Amino acid sequence: MSDANSAAKPKQKQRGASQAAVAWRRFRRNKSALAGAVIVGFFIFISIYGIFFAPYPSRSYYCLTNGCANLPPFVNWAHPLGTEYSGIDVFSEILHGALGDLYVGVVATAISVAVGLVIGAFAGYRSGAVSAMLLGITQIFFTLPVLVIILLFARIAQILVAQGLGLTLIVVILGIFGWPTIAFVTRGEILRIKELEFVQAARSLGASNSRILFRHILLNVMSPIIVLASLLVAGNILTEVVISFLGFGSPNTSTWGLLLQEGFLYVRTSWWVSLFPGIAVVVAVLGFNLLGDGLSDALNPRIRE
Amino acid sequence: MGSLLNYVIRRALFAIPVFLAVSILTFLITNAAGDPVNIVRLGIRSITAAQLEQLRLFFHTNEPVYIRYFYWLSDFLRGNLGQSLYTGSVASRIIPWIGTTLELQIPALLLALGIGIPIGVYSAKHQYSKGDYTITTAAIFGISMPTFWIGIMLIIVFSYYLPWLPAYGAYSAYPPYWWGSPFLDAIAHLILPLSVLTLVSVATITRLTRVNMLEVLRQDYILAGRASGLSEWKVTYKHALKNAITPVLTIVGLSFGTLLAGAPALETTFSWPGLGFAFVRAASTLDLPTVQAIIMIITLMVLAANILTDLAYAFLDPRVRIT
Repeated sequence: MSDANSAAKPKQKQRGASQAAVAWRRFRRNKSALAGAVIVGFFIFISIYGIFFAPYPSRSYYCLTNGCANLPPFVNWAHPLGTEYSGIDVFSEILHGALGDLYVGVVATAISVAVGLVIGAFAGYRSGAVSAMLLGITQIFFTLPVLVIILLFARIAQILVAQGLGLTLIVVILGIFGWPTIAFVTRGEILRIKELEFVQAARSLGASNSRILFRHILLNVMSPIIVLASLLVAGNILTEVVISFLGFGSPNTSTWGLLLQEGFLYVRTSWWVSLFPGIAVVVAVLGFNLLGDGLSDALNPRIRE
Repeated sequence: MGSLLNYVIRRALFAIPVFLAVSILTFLITNAAGDPVNIVRLGIRSITAAQLEQLRLFFHTNEPVYIRYFYWLSDFLRGNLGQSLYTGSVASRIIPWIGTTLELQIPALLLALGIGIPIGVYSAKHQYSKGDYTITTAAIFGISMPTFWIGIMLIIVFSYYLPWLPAYGAYSAYPPYWWGSPFLDAIAHLILPLSVLTLVSVATITRLTRVNMLEVLRQDYILAGRASGLSEWKVTYKHALKNAITPVLTIVGLSFGTLLAGAPALETTFSWPGLGFAFVRAASTLDLPTVQAIIMIITLMVLAANILTDLAYAFLDPRVRIT
């Protein structure tokens, strides 16, 4: 096998740029994809280092006792985006909330991708009763009215499970319900790829099933999955915001959805508590959506010039 | 025709496992603590002994879990949705909720199709033009915003800052009516939530139409049509759109569930008395019989939408009818 690899390498160099290099060039030329990458990078930076810029601790009711509750934005520069009735500083809270939303978005997606890849790979690579059953389960999951089930799940979990778990509950719930798209696409891609010549070549060279699946097929499946994962992060953040906004989330952890829920209570008088966290959500979700769209353009060989 | 019937029956049969899956999931979640009565007692401190007794009867808590499930399912299938913990029979209350939700969802869907498809076609026809960039940018913003948040923003602007439209409810219960009459009053209440829902769906439909049109416009038969001297209008709308629209309608039909699922947050924002708002209230107050009934009804609505979509698909795409 190593002989074949070393023989193939100089040949590849003659052919010019590798797959990844071509994709990177296409990605770089796509302005909106770059914008998406920059936004996502900024979002990750804020999630990790935002706590150092935040003037007040997470869920701190500082202003309630210090006479600065319900301040409008851009008036007092100690509270640039204003404060809530309850005395929470909106700017600090947005910075603290970033980590929660990133955690939910990314970790739930990771769970979904892991589950979806395994189920999709099995359903695509093998044939028979088990894979037919997996396909059936995937299709059933597609049709479920997922959000109401997630909401009920979150509400019951709120009561039964210790509050200390916080966002992890939501992460697990979203992860459990997010895998069907990944599984479906993985299965389709594997059905297509496993008949291609390079897989047959590997098989005739005596490669084992698992080697073919992991080294040859899964690597090729990854590009549509990366695209889907990016869009799924966006979707998960939106769902987390809805769960928290409706009051089914974790009441002690800073998230943008929780801030929006509190803002809605006083929306008639304190519009700023609703406006600014919403903008934060839109920017973060937009970043992942732009990134996903851009990756999809860059990685799709069918529309390559 | 026989094969079409066959196809529809096959698709309709698929509804059964979905229905059962939802019922099992819902039932398992509400029985996660072994006994739904425990959940209610833990969550709602002010619950009375009479309410708990009623709940025990509804769930048959003296039986083991798997027996309870069949009691509940057979009750549901016979139209006995149980008693709400707070306000009488669930079945009598759920029907107006369905109506109010559809009053919002169906016009939004039709409007969104009517607006989104032409915009998507325009965008695809003028790919990489300024108009196309504007449209795709607006559309990606549209799918990145939480639906309910757009609603809150519109309420702040058009209801509080400019007192033009009502901020909550589907109608005024008593005079003074908005714009003078009860009918116009209902319209006034509909405008804001309907605009939000339409806006978000237009974004999705525009993106879908654009992608599918781009794919179709590249194909040979479009070139052949142009070469044989058909007008650009005819090529676009008669030949290309006809093929591009099938996947759009399919996805829209199948994602009716997602639309409905977006309802809880949006309906709560506008206090719109539909299924979604009722669901949120019932889940917050742990009114489990109501919650279960709403989830099952939403599932039935989604399944009905899917079967209608399959029918439309068989109609639009002759290949389905042949095989």
